[in-house]
Amino acid sequence: MLSFERNKLVHVGRKDEATLHVRGVLSDDIYSLEIEIEVGLADLAIDRIEGKWHRWTTPECPRADAFLREALGFRLEDADFSQKVHKIVGRKSCRHYANLLLECAHSAKEASRLLAWEAAKADEADLKLDAFLKGRAEAPRSAAREPGRAEAGEAPPKPSALESKAPSPRPASGNGQVIDLHVHTHPASSCSSAPVDEVIQEARRIGLDGICLTDHNHVWAPDQAEALRQRHGFLVLRGNEITTEQGDMLVFGLEKDIKGIILQRKLRQEVDAAGGCMIVAHPFRGFLVFGVGETGLTPEQAMDRPLLKLVDAIEIMNGKVTVQENEFAAKVAAGIHLPATGGSDAHEVVEVGKYATRFFDTIRNEQDLIAALKSGACQAVAYRKEKGLT
Amino acid sequence: MAERPIFSRNRCTSVLKVDDRTMRSTCRLQDTLTDAEVEIDVRLPDLEIVAVRSGFKRTMGDVCREPNEALQKVIGVRVGPGMLKIIKGLVGESSDCGQAAFMVEECCHGIILSFTKETLMQAPLGEELTADHYGEMVRKNIRLYNRCAAFAPGSSMVEGIEPPQ
Repeated sequence: MLSFERNKLVHVGRKDEATLHVRGVLSDDIYSLEIEIEVGLADLAIDRIEGKWHRWTTPECPRADAFLREALGFRLEDADFSQKVHKIVGRKSCRHYANLLLECAHSAKEASRLLAWEAAKADEADLKLDAFLKGRAEAPRSAAREPGRAEAGEAPPKPSALESKAPSPRPASGNGQVIDLHVHTHPASSCSSAPVDEVIQEARRIGLDGICLTDHNHVWAPDQAEALRQRHGFLVLRGNEITTEQGDMLVFGLEKDIKGIILQRKLRQEVDAAGGCMIVAHPFRGFLVFGVGETGLTPEQAMDRPLLKLVDAIEIMNGKVTVQENEFAAKVAAGIHLPATGGSDAHEVVEVGKYATRFFDTIRNEQDLIAALKSGACQAVAYRKEKGLT
Repeated sequence: MAERPIFSRNRCTSVLKVDDRTMRSTCRLQDTLTDAEVEIDVRLPDLEIVAVRSGFKRTMGDVCREPNEALQKVIGVRVGPGMLKIIKGLVGESSDCGQAAFMVEECCHGIILSFTKETLMQAPLGEELTADHYGEMVRKNIRLYNRCAAFAPGSSMVEGIEPPQ
């Protein structure tokens, strides 16, 4: 017996010389909705869009209809069309509308190709569709690399002696030195709205001893970090959050700029060559409606995941996952005796320090951080709660 | 409305529980230009993709010359948050493999929605009860807050719930 089925139907017609009319319907075991769009043939931009829910899960789902207008003007052939649909329509309206809109948009593009073929046949009556489409595909393209695969760029200059002139960090006291190991800033991370100076100011305000800048696939230059340290008189360490096929990894000590997706084992080799360390970020982040527990996964089973053999530590407190998911990660870390860390995963200023990591040795730079993480001389803490700041 | 039909598409994604440890999700595409199928096997409870199969029976113009070879790169990936970025990155966004990668994503969505369906079946009927039920879900999983229009500020689903900080 099937446990789930989804059907989507799309029809594209030519409304007039300048316009395609696209109608899409999505119906599955949970949802039923439809979308109609009109697309201008001149620029393949969405000129009109309407949607309607027929079957939903919450009584508020039809609120999504009004926000479909966010897609007006989107051009189907823009490189970021899919990303915009996911991020804008998917978030402001509904992800199921976004899914159906992508289906409609792709169908409209296919229809426009068919129309282009028909037009081409005016000059070449025997032109077959297959040949026409292949001819378009083989047209010279820019020598762009295949997007999405990892590229290790040139390493930035090695850290200079400037690092030794950084303001002295607060030495680890009896309570240790507390550092937020997982922070995103704008514009280094496109998903963050937190300017780096404001993030540091907030971190100081709430009494943290330092932060790590771990923007997505972004290497902060040593002199940039040093300038921040000097400007704020605060410990600012450089890290990177890199996506592998096994999920996101927080990496410290790696100067190489890695874009796209990299295999975890290859990243491990890079990190080892650089003398760095790697933490698996939010390893048990669940889904919107259910968590890993609902799939039947136990901490004992999770402990056997091969990816955990390739990391130096596990992030057991992350500000973007549920309490249950953090607790699950903590059980796994304890079970396999891996060091456990905390980080806010802040994307907004107010999120800094929600979780952090307490170190019992003084951390002055990335080398100290790496040594402490590898030795396990650290502890994840719910910092804001501890300070009564939530 | 009188208009000239140009293109039509029919896509079906179905999920089957093969045995206690395996779920199989199949995406079938039939449209004016393409007839294709992509299937993934996912191992429970980790939701790890353990097998991928594909077949492009009919296609026109640019098509992934070796769709199956490219798709094997997703073996080992777990169905979960962030998977779309990983699948796109591994399979590549070049047009000739774009449809195959999209069909893998659709298969993965099917797996997730099969679990979502199970969870939602536990929701009570009746509008007031439903609002309370979903509000409780948001309190337990604050990622839901403002995740879409239904859970955005102003919705009864999040009434009385503080925005996440």
